[in-house]
Amino acid sequence: MTILEIDNISAGYGSGPNILKGLSLKVEQGKTYCVIGPNGAGKSTLLRAICGLLHPRSGRVTYKGEDISKSRTDEILMKGISFVPQDRSLFPDMTVKENLRMGGYILKDRKELDQRIEKVLTMFPILAERSSQHSKTLSGGEQQMLAIGRTLVLQPEIIMLDEPSLGLAPKITQQIFEMVSFLKESGMTVILVEQNARKGLEYSDWGCVLDLGTNRFEGPADTILNDPRIQELYLGKRRNNGQEGAE
Amino acid sequence: MSDAVIENGKTQTNQALESRKSSQKKIFLLVLLAVLLLFPLTQFVVGGMNYWLHMLLFTFMYIAMASSWNIIGGYAGYTSLGHNVFFAIGGYFTGVLLVYFKISPFLTAPIAGIIALLVGLVVGLISLRTKGSAFIISTIALMMLVKISFDNWDYIGGTNGMSTPLLMLPVEVVKFPFYYYLLAIAIAAVYLSYRVRHSKFGLGLRAISQDETKAEVAGIPTNWYKILAFALSGLFVGVAGGLWGYYLTYLRPNIFLTVLIAAQMVLMSVLGGKGTVAGPIVGAILFIAIDEFFVANLGFTMLNIAATGLLLALVLLFFPRGIVGTLKERGKLPVFLDWD
Amino acid sequence: MTQTLQVLLFGVALGGVYALMASGLTLVFGVMRIVNISHSALMIFAAYIAFFAFQNYSLDPILSIFITMPVMFLMGVAIYKIFFSSIKSTERTGELTVLLTFSLALVLEGVMGYLWTNVYRSANPSYATEAIFFGPFFLPKGQFYATVLSVAIIILLWLFLKYSRIGYAIRATMQNQAAAQVVGVNVERMAMISFGIGIALAGASGSLMSYLFTFYPGKHWEWIAILLSLIVLGGMGSLAGALVGAFLLAIASALVGYHFGPTWSPITFFLALFLILLVRPQGLLGKKMEA
Repeated sequence: MTILEIDNISAGYGSGPNILKGLSLKVEQGKTYCVIGPNGAGKSTLLRAICGLLHPRSGRVTYKGEDISKSRTDEILMKGISFVPQDRSLFPDMTVKENLRMGGYILKDRKELDQRIEKVLTMFPILAERSSQHSKTLSGGEQQMLAIGRTLVLQPEIIMLDEPSLGLAPKITQQIFEMVSFLKESGMTVILVEQNARKGLEYSDWGCVLDLGTNRFEGPADTILNDPRIQELYLGKRRNNGQEGAE
Repeated sequence: MSDAVIENGKTQTNQALESRKSSQKKIFLLVLLAVLLLFPLTQFVVGGMNYWLHMLLFTFMYIAMASSWNIIGGYAGYTSLGHNVFFAIGGYFTGVLLVYFKISPFLTAPIAGIIALLVGLVVGLISLRTKGSAFIISTIALMMLVKISFDNWDYIGGTNGMSTPLLMLPVEVVKFPFYYYLLAIAIAAVYLSYRVRHSKFGLGLRAISQDETKAEVAGIPTNWYKILAFALSGLFVGVAGGLWGYYLTYLRPNIFLTVLIAAQMVLMSVLGGKGTVAGPIVGAILFIAIDEFFVANLGFTMLNIAATGLLLALVLLFFPRGIVGTLKERGKLPVFLDWD
Repeated sequence: MTQTLQVLLFGVALGGVYALMASGLTLVFGVMRIVNISHSALMIFAAYIAFFAFQNYSLDPILSIFITMPVMFLMGVAIYKIFFSSIKSTERTGELTVLLTFSLALVLEGVMGYLWTNVYRSANPSYATEAIFFGPFFLPKGQFYATVLSVAIIILLWLFLKYSRIGYAIRATMQNQAAAQVVGVNVERMAMISFGIGIALAGASGSLMSYLFTFYPGKHWEWIAILLSLIVLGGMGSLAGALVGAFLLAIASALVGYHFGPTWSPITFFLALFLILLVRPQGLLGKKMEA
């Protein structure tokens, strides 16, 4: 079932040129989508356009049949779409618990908020351990965990992650992707923007290649992963007999 | 666009057009100069021109100060809100020499300018280590420092200041020396501004004002350029200050060291178009005209202050490129204002 | 020795009041990176309100806080809407806001001067001239009340920021504006509210100022330079920093005034400001303010 539909949108920042130029994408509930593509293609811009940080200049974004193109971020959050920006965007001088509280900022019911925070802490024991530490003292992987945990406070239906593995060591990257799996298993729809295209596609159901502001190719993730053209253009050297090519 | 690019792009017709424009401008300047030089003589023909002489020499002084401020505030993009410090230093320097040593400010004013320049160098060495709003605040701190020091310095009269002797000339001609001197200063200051604008130094300053990091990376000695710009911007303000105390016949910290004068320098440059040669001149003339209108009609200095603030705010919000800047942007700049 | 301690006591007492004055200024910077040059002019405006309330209606200056704070809050919101909500955030924003608040300060000075002239004013409720004794030391009653009140207001402010929902949102905006947006904070509205709170704090300060110091419209330049020195030393955008800076410099200036004469004590602030901007512009606890 299509839960989110992006219909031919164009968008840009300020009075600048369009970064997204007529982009369309259909997102189905419960699936994990990986958006890859070169720098400047508009991947982050797409996510921002969906969650209301940016409004499309033309075209429409529809969520569960409702047009959210002009909605505010807090309205969209309320409806069930959450966003984890690049560089995690945590509040450095707030504790883990306070960060989680901010995650549920739009919830007015204090008790409900406390319950949900507890739930997230149960899900991520490491965060529970560090709950009164300032978030700036956490390691990179822990910060990413907190960023994801923060979105879960709102129990979203769709969760969007912008380059979650950016700047993290390979071992931690593995943990991050396992978290993505966990989100998937919980029934959430995940939209992932990943520079680490190979890894991203491995953990996704569907892949979508963005270039120059539009959706160039899309298809099942493993098809995209194995497609020689895409491999050459976006994934690095071709695989030879199953050997890994250079990234 | 650099002059080099324009040079290479010229065709024969363009060259002819350019040289016609440039001779138009030269004629304009010569006529203007002649009128200004001869104007005081109307005193003998018509009489009672002292008010106009005052307005004109006052305008010359402000043209000099605004054009000078523009070097650091406009070209380099470093807003100085404490520029009246140079004015005060100039005024007190010549004042002390006049009151205690009987030396005429007409002789000592240029030296006052040099002193202001040196002070600018020293202060610049220290305060230009900061950027942006930090720099602006440091100029305010500097101004308050100087004000308190002057307030407490008995040798120069402390808060009461000093009165300077009157120039002993008949009333019809007493303003003449000030008129011509300040005209000369105005011409010198504008000429300095023009030369800076059209030099490699000026180009470097403009680069600094747009993106200092990139300018540094491109090899421009940003520190020295900024300090030099700051010092140069104080030069003629100091000279003007040196004369003004003599003209007013008194010196007081709360005349010379009010923020109002600093604010006016900023306003004139911004209003006229900071970063251009003609901008501060246009701004100075316009500002004084408006100021006179207010004083003449309203007659209260406090509203003067409010009006300066209001005008500055309006210009900043709606008109940030100033008159010359906006006209240039729209391609409607008259030839005689195009000196960049 | 007793003399020095007495001077220190004055310094500490004054520090509390300075901290209140500086808190509004640093809050506004912390949230929006706006250096509000007109803060002290607004303080003086509030002082006039308190003064005239005292003179014409015998309203105790300290009680006038209940008037000045709400009035100044609204004024702050209005100023924000008029001047700042239309400005787009670019690199030159820092300088532009300084110049804008500078022009606002001029307008306020001019209007106040026109309405109320440059005559030195000071309210004189009874406690302004009485003293409280602590053993061999004394403190003017008015000063004592002012310090206690200042500290109380600062504590309330701190509690508000730490525990209320809006307080969370404001702190979030201060720490990471982009992240605050992402979790649904209406950053524009928080900026406006913070500005209002900042000016409300100026209002409270003004009420206290009305009897603690003599004031007139032109005095705001000296005050803003003083306040800037406090928050630059402590660190722009940090409330703790404002406290630290206020107490350190208040004590230092008291000592300077004692040794060199009262007219020299303001110089402590300006010298400190100048020096800190050079050596460590982010102060002891704060963030950089370069545009």
